Amino acid sequence: MIEGMLYVLSNHYQRYVLYFFYYAMNVYSAFCGIPFKSGVCSLHNITNNIFNTTFNVLFSGQKYRLEVGFQAMEHLINVLQTDRSDSEIIGYALDTLFNIVSNDLEEEEQDDLEEENPQKQVDDLGRQFTEIFIKQQENVTLLLTFLEEFDFQVRWPGVKLLTSLLKQQGPQVQQIILVSPMGVSRLMDLLADSREVIRNDGVLLLQQLTKSNAAIQKIVAFENAFERLLDIVTDEGNSDGGIVVEDCLLLLQNLLKNNNSNQNFFKEGSYIQRMKPWFEVGDDNSGWSAQKVTNLHLMLQLVRVLVSPTNPPGATSSCQKTMFHCGLLQQLCTILMATGVPADILTETINTVSEVIRGCQINQDYFASVNAPSNPPRSAIVVLLMSMVNERQPFVLRCAVLYCFQCFLYKNQKGQGEIVSTLLPSTIDATGNSVSAGQLLCGGLFSTDSLSNWCAAVALAHALQDNATLKEQLLRVQLATSIGNPPVSLLQQCTNILSQGDKIDRRGSKVQTRVGLLMLLCTWLSDCPIAVTHFLHNSANIPFLTGQIAENLGEEEQLVQGLCALLLGICIYYNDNSLENCRKEKLKQLIEKRIGKENFIEKLGFISKHELYSKAAQKPQPSFSSADHMMFDHEFTKLVKELEGIITKAIYKSSEEDKQEEEVKKTLEQHDNIVTHYKKVIREQDRQLEELKQKVNTLKSQNEQLQTAVTQQMSQIQQHKDQYNLLKVQLGKDNQHHSSHSDMLQMNGIQPEEISKLRQEIEELKNKHEVLQGQLREKDSVIENMKSLQSETGRTEQSSQITAGLEHANELHRELEALRIQIQSQSSDISKLQSEKQELLQQMNTASVPALGDSTAVIAAKNSELEGRLLQEIKELKSEVKALSEEKALLKQHLDSSNSTAAVLQDEKSKLQQEVSESKKEQDDLLVLLADQDQKIFALKNKLKELGQPVEDEDDIESGDQADEDEEEDGEEED
Amino acid sequence: MAYAYLFKYIIIGDTGVGKSCLLLQFTDKRFQPVHDLTIGVEFGARMITIDGKQIKLQIWDTAGQESFRSITRSYYRGAAGALLVYDITRRDTFNHLTTWLEDARQHSNSNMVIMLIGNKSDLESRREVKKEEGEAFAREHGLIFMETSAKTASNVEEAFINTAKEIYEKIQEGVFDINNEANGIKIGPQHAASNATLTGNQGGQQAGGGCC
Ligand SMILES: Nc1nc2c(ncn2[C@@H]2O[C@H](COP(=O)(O)OP(=O)(O)O)[C@@H](O)[C@H]2O)c(=O)[nH]1
Ligand SMILES: [Mg+2]
Repeated sequence: MIEGMLYVLSNHYQRYVLYFFYYAMNVYSAFCGIPFKSGVCSLHNITNNIFNTTFNVLFSGQKYRLEVGFQAMEHLINVLQTDRSDSEIIGYALDTLFNIVSNDLEEEEQDDLEEENPQKQVDDLGRQFTEIFIKQQENVTLLLTFLEEFDFQVRWPGVKLLTSLLKQQGPQVQQIILVSPMGVSRLMDLLADSREVIRNDGVLLLQQLTKSNAAIQKIVAFENAFERLLDIVTDEGNSDGGIVVEDCLLLLQNLLKNNNSNQNFFKEGSYIQRMKPWFEVGDDNSGWSAQKVTNLHLMLQLVRVLVSPTNPPGATSSCQKTMFHCGLLQQLCTILMATGVPADILTETINTVSEVIRGCQINQDYFASVNAPSNPPRSAIVVLLMSMVNERQPFVLRCAVLYCFQCFLYKNQKGQGEIVSTLLPSTIDATGNSVSAGQLLCGGLFSTDSLSNWCAAVALAHALQDNATLKEQLLRVQLATSIGNPPVSLLQQCTNILSQGDKIDRRGSKVQTRVGLLMLLCTWLSDCPIAVTHFLHNSANIPFLTGQIAENLGEEEQLVQGLCALLLGICIYYNDNSLENCRKEKLKQLIEKRIGKENFIEKLGFISKHELYSKAAQKPQPSFSSADHMMFDHEFTKLVKELEGIITKAIYKSSEEDKQEEEVKKTLEQHDNIVTHYKKVIREQDRQLEELKQKVNTLKSQNEQLQTAVTQQMSQIQQHKDQYNLLKVQLGKDNQHHSSHSDMLQMNGIQPEEISKLRQEIEELKNKHEVLQGQLREKDSVIENMKSLQSETGRTEQSSQITAGLEHANELHRELEALRIQIQSQSSDISKLQSEKQELLQQMNTASVPALGDSTAVIAAKNSELEGRLLQEIKELKSEVKALSEEKALLKQHLDSSNSTAAVLQDEKSKLQQEVSESKKEQDDLLVLLADQDQKIFALKNKLKELGQPVEDEDDIESGDQADEDEEEDGEEED
Repeated sequence: MAYAYLFKYIIIGDTGVGKSCLLLQFTDKRFQPVHDLTIGVEFGARMITIDGKQIKLQIWDTAGQESFRSITRSYYRGAAGALLVYDITRRDTFNHLTTWLEDARQHSNSNMVIMLIGNKSDLESRREVKKEEGEAFAREHGLIFMETSAKTASNVEEAFINTAKEIYEKIQEGVFDINNEANGIKIGPQHAASNATLTGNQGGQQAGGGCC
């Protein structure tokens, strides 16, 4: 029959057969106690009865079930592959596969709850079916494509099937999804589905998908899962929301737990801030439904995931700070101090606060400042400690308080000091009105409740952890005992209780009390020689310890023996030999004599071999399955680890080695002293350095300011300089032009005009010259004439001409003189202007250098104006000077030539004068001769007359008169 | 901290080219000579300022090995920017660029800005790939290009910031659909609030109140 049915699956009755399978599986589920889940589809034609009967036949035996399932799956997968377009049939196929695959899931989940059942189901059918399905990776890939289908009929059973596959074979299915392109990303789209059923089942699918797979967790986070999930939580009303909120929180936990990258992303995405409203639960206590408690619990756990002590320190501390700054810590502390909060929520809140403040100073400081809204107001720390030493409080709550206290003190010297100070004589509140932390701890230490003893001892030990100062200070604490008896020190009281422990009637385990006290003493005495000395000072203590160790006690007492050995070891190792009777070697001899080295070491080893030891060593939180298991403190396990080896070595060492070691220690101490000294020096120098650095910084900034001022001024000066240089260059050019005529052609602007003007002048002068030369030539010709005339004609005419020439020369002289004067006055003008210019330039220079203040710009403008004007003037003057000097040169030339002409003329004139005077002399001689001859003639005439001869003489007398007149004129001329 | 925009980046390229060191230099301003091999993907973030606006960069540093390639591929679609890194002292890492680029182009949204980075520019003496070759490759494939040194921090800031500038410009040009977070861009709470105030009066108040 089965064969037949499976055969039909492949023909056109396929659909009906599929219906059949679908129902068969559902009915089967019902038989196995699995609720019938799918309500999507109904089949009308076939009655349940038929299926029941068929079902019974089909699944009566295990091997048939496997057989049928195996064969059915093949066909169902075939349907998925071939009928993709028929969403109805795909839906049935998926749903049927889901039923087949989730075969034993529910049973198994129930088994999981009861951890007792170790036997894995041998005939784990669902798992086997899953294996068959995923053997072909394409099947999963195909299923992923159906999940992208929007059709509800397809998408929903698809989501359920994939969820089941993941539940059955997580790692394998995860791997397949991871390697299929965008496999994970596409599944994220389910969260965006508007149909709540799919969105919610999508959350469940993602829960399975992200289980223990960091790579997938990161991709899901990358695809904005945090945003989406936080939005859903907000929309659903935070902790008041339903199971969807719970599912989202579980998924968030999957994404964040032990995934540093995602935690960092969560923090960087400012999502911590979005957690704060989760804890605004208020005081109104409108009821705490089970769902709300669950939700809040998960929310608190999520906070803890981010600040877990096992996270990298940097990551935790940055989350802690964010939680303080966004007010999340404050909100948690409000819950802490609120009334009516269910105990388990309160406990988890305390644990959460613990980890939010652990090792983070600002958070610890804030926590120390929190007050309970009580009357009178008490600090939260006091209120919590009251619960810790209160037997009526639940065990887990008391553990949580201890954890909180430990976290408050962790790496918090300030907090440790505050706690210890409440025990010191000087600070104890005498009125006794308010309870202090110290009082509560002492009360717990010496109460008749062993749990309180243990918690108080461990709490106090944490106040001393790594704090040598406080270890010494605590030695001062004295306790008042019964009236009439002297007060006893806290240290002594602890050892008294230890040794008398058997005599006091206590509730709970006596071992617990003693273990607690011994842990306190070990912590107190380690690394504190003064405390060791105090301890050894009581002569009863060492015998008690050796007695405890030496005795052959039952298993119960082994732990106490181990701790006693540890304490004795500490007394040896940290012994400064200040007590003669209890020097190191003496104690060691005692061990050898009373216990035996081997025995001692064996007892010491009991501690770390204890079954509860390793559990406590794992994490800081004190968590014990029962009160009896409360034995070890996490910090104490660290101390044991540190000391076990050291003490073993110390015990085995010979006294000689000890001595050597002592010496080494001493030199080391000396070294230490030196080092401390230098450290001090260095610190002092550091301080000075810091001061100097600050000074340097202020100076630097001052310097910078000055430098900028200087730069500004420099640039101004540079500007002035540039202007000045420009001027100079222009001046230089002018000078060049001035000095070399050959460069004239290269000149520009006004100068060509000047040239032409000068040319004209030259032309004029030339003309004048020509005229003068013409005159000269005339004179020359006159002189020539005179010369030629001289011999024949009268010389008077000549001399008058010479006189005219001379007069002309004189005239020229006068003219030259006038010109000379003109030139002189002009050159004095020039020199005046030049000196003026010099002055101005000087003024300009002096003005440009000091004037660097605010008015520089104005001055610069003035300067440039002045300079411009000056430049212009200078230019004009220069051209004038040039013109004048040219003129002058020309005139000089002319003068020279005129002078030389004049000289020539003078020369000629004097020659002529000589000639004239010679001629005159000749004339005179001739006249004398003439007069002689005249007389002779007259005498002769007279003789002739006498002799009677007629003589003509009229003309001669006339010419004789004229010569007389000339004579007179010449005489005048000569003067 | 409030930001105007949030951009998602991925860093890709062969293993050992200095991707993790670049991220560390950018986020923590330090260089780790011996850096752990990246397993899968690591996250880093930093705020920058562009055009007076605060922009948050969320960066996913991927493992270069082939075995992680399918994981890496999941990050392309949601990233707005990618830094494609090669090592200038190893030619093979340059030769593999084409494969990387094909992979990126195939799986990313088309607007993703890709910055080509030639890293280890401090090792000039061991250079095997000329700067010009990098420039040419970038030009040919339409990428921005830069040579950086995660060791000396040279150009590291610039590489991340210039990529952001390019994305920012694309937003201004309206190329990116900023309302679709799948593009690797998100508008900050500030920005969103002021937008809401502009568009709707009643909505604005609500949005303003929800901003922290
Ligand atoms: N000299 C130098 N070495 C670098 C530089 N960047 C990275 N390295 C080194 O290259 C090696 C690989 O770097 P890593 O960041 O792990 O490469 P990844 O595999 O791409 O993430 C490490 O040893 C780094 O110290 C750089 O700019 N200069
Ligand atoms: Mg890396």
